[in-house]
Amino acid sequence: MTAKLVVQGLSHHYPDEYTGVSVHALDDINLEVNDGEFVAIVGPSGCGKTTLLNILAGLLRYREGNATVDGKKIDGPGPDRGVVFQEHAILPWRTVAGNIGHGLELQKIPRQERQDRVAEYIELVGLVGFEDRYPHELSGGMKQRCAVARTLCADPEIMLMDEPFAAVDAQTRITLQEELIRIAIATKKTILFITHAVDEAAFLGDRCFVFSRRPGRLRETVHINIPRAERNWGDIAANPEFVRARDRILALVREEVIADDR
Amino acid sequence: MNALTKFSLLVQGRFGRKRLRRIGLGSIPFIFLLTLWQMNTTFEWLAPVFIPSIGGVIDAIFILQSDCGGVWDILSLDNTCLMTTHILSSIGRVLLAAVIGIPLGIIFGILAGMNRLISTVLEPVGVFANSISGIAWVPLAIVWFGVGWMTTLFIMLNTVFWLMFFNAMLGTRGIAKVYEQSVLTLGGSRWNIFIQVYLPGAMPSIITGMRMSLGFGWRALIAAEMIGGDSGLGFMIFTAAEEFNVEQVFLGVIVISIIYLATDHYLLGPLEKWTIHRWGLTWKPT
Ligand SMILES: Nc1ncnc2c1ncn2[C@@H]1O[C@H](COP(=O)(O)OP(=O)(O)O)[C@@H](O)[C@H]1O
Ligand SMILES: [Mg+2]
Repeated sequence: MTAKLVVQGLSHHYPDEYTGVSVHALDDINLEVNDGEFVAIVGPSGCGKTTLLNILAGLLRYREGNATVDGKKIDGPGPDRGVVFQEHAILPWRTVAGNIGHGLELQKIPRQERQDRVAEYIELVGLVGFEDRYPHELSGGMKQRCAVARTLCADPEIMLMDEPFAAVDAQTRITLQEELIRIAIATKKTILFITHAVDEAAFLGDRCFVFSRRPGRLRETVHINIPRAERNWGDIAANPEFVRARDRILALVREEVIADDR
Repeated sequence: MNALTKFSLLVQGRFGRKRLRRIGLGSIPFIFLLTLWQMNTTFEWLAPVFIPSIGGVIDAIFILQSDCGGVWDILSLDNTCLMTTHILSSIGRVLLAAVIGIPLGIIFGILAGMNRLISTVLEPVGVFANSISGIAWVPLAIVWFGVGWMTTLFIMLNTVFWLMFFNAMLGTRGIAKVYEQSVLTLGGSRWNIFIQVYLPGAMPSIITGMRMSLGFGWRALIAAEMIGGDSGLGFMIFTAAEEFNVEQVFLGVIVISIIYLATDHYLLGPLEKWTIHRWGLTWKPT
């Protein structure tokens, strides 16, 4: 397997305009994500997960270290990397279909082809019948499905997902997680999935990077050797590999939380 | 079911219950005022030189239009059709100022909202221009442009442009950053973001800006026409007042408010419905 995404010695400081004291958000991150791999990143809130994702998306400039996709240095956003944001980021003034087809529209794909692809992804995320609705008419879970479909439909090579299911209810979250596995099987995309939920990380990831408290460092990589076809909530809870991985991630996260209390 | 109930149901079905209710409730103050007005005439509280009769005001229309030779004379702003000439002249000026001032104000406002440099340059002069409210420019404008449409246009543009500018700028600044970021990651350019994120995202403020600038612009126009105009409703009211023709003064005031109400109802209302209501960007009373 080849490394799709490589991060070397990446650190980030946010300058503070008022106090003059800079916030040290990321510290010397080194990691690789392989082509077609599903990687989860877990870490306590405020540890720099969103910062890392914004850098990889090309939305945030970085000076210390290096980040490359297919050997090319990341310098600004690009169609090879799609992002599903932490907040609901679909445009309120576009319909579901308009949002999902937005990437294709910007790529100037002809209308007919666009409509076909949009219909395909609406089907994939289960939003059939809601094509002409506006986001304010959708539930939180449906909005997030729409956001996922929008990113998928633009056909990026890498999907960067920032706690996309954090704001939806438990029931919907389980469904969305299983759907995402299905999508990963169907599209073979490289996925980097940020979360603070340990279960979610162990359920979704082929590997899981556990981050320390701020400044975020990569503490440990946990491997989760479970075939994608076996990843559904009905069976996985009894899978010893899942239990082992989850407990390991949980232990690491708890150490961070305990360290925080001291 | 008697005939009256049937008729009432027919009317309700045709216009919609809710809408009828709204129109009905909204009319109460007007009906109250009209009643008071008629009572004043009937009981002769104040003499007709101060408050004319309703009939007198309606007669004023016919007096002003007395020699009017039909549609062609109205449209060619013939001096025989005085009232329509004044109305069309005022509306024309509002339209001209709106067509120039609103788009320019939106464009520069959004640019200032997205770009620090532009806002740093334009904000102080905007605050300066807004502090000198429309009417205070009249004496200077008359010196510069003389009496006529250039003066009124200048006054109105000063009002319309800056109100649009500030509203569009604040609206743009209030848009969540994540919308812009998401369009960027989908492959959007700066231009795409201007049209697809900032313009619709700032729409609630832009519509507020349009309400304000048409309202204040219309008032500024009337004032400007009174002092620096050679036609228009403001001019009509002013000349009528000089001749102690209260009927025409009343007529002018009523026509002005009717035109403004109509603009708000038939232009801004639908625009609001078509954009921000549809997108769920407004608070809706339940
Ligand atoms: N734009 C910013 N300016 C200054 N500090 C920031 C900014 N964004 C994030 N931070 C700080 O950087 C740290 C990491 O933030 P973030 O990457 O959002 O964490 P996470 O996504 O893991 O919760 C936090 O302490 C946060 O307060
Ligand atoms: Mg975050």
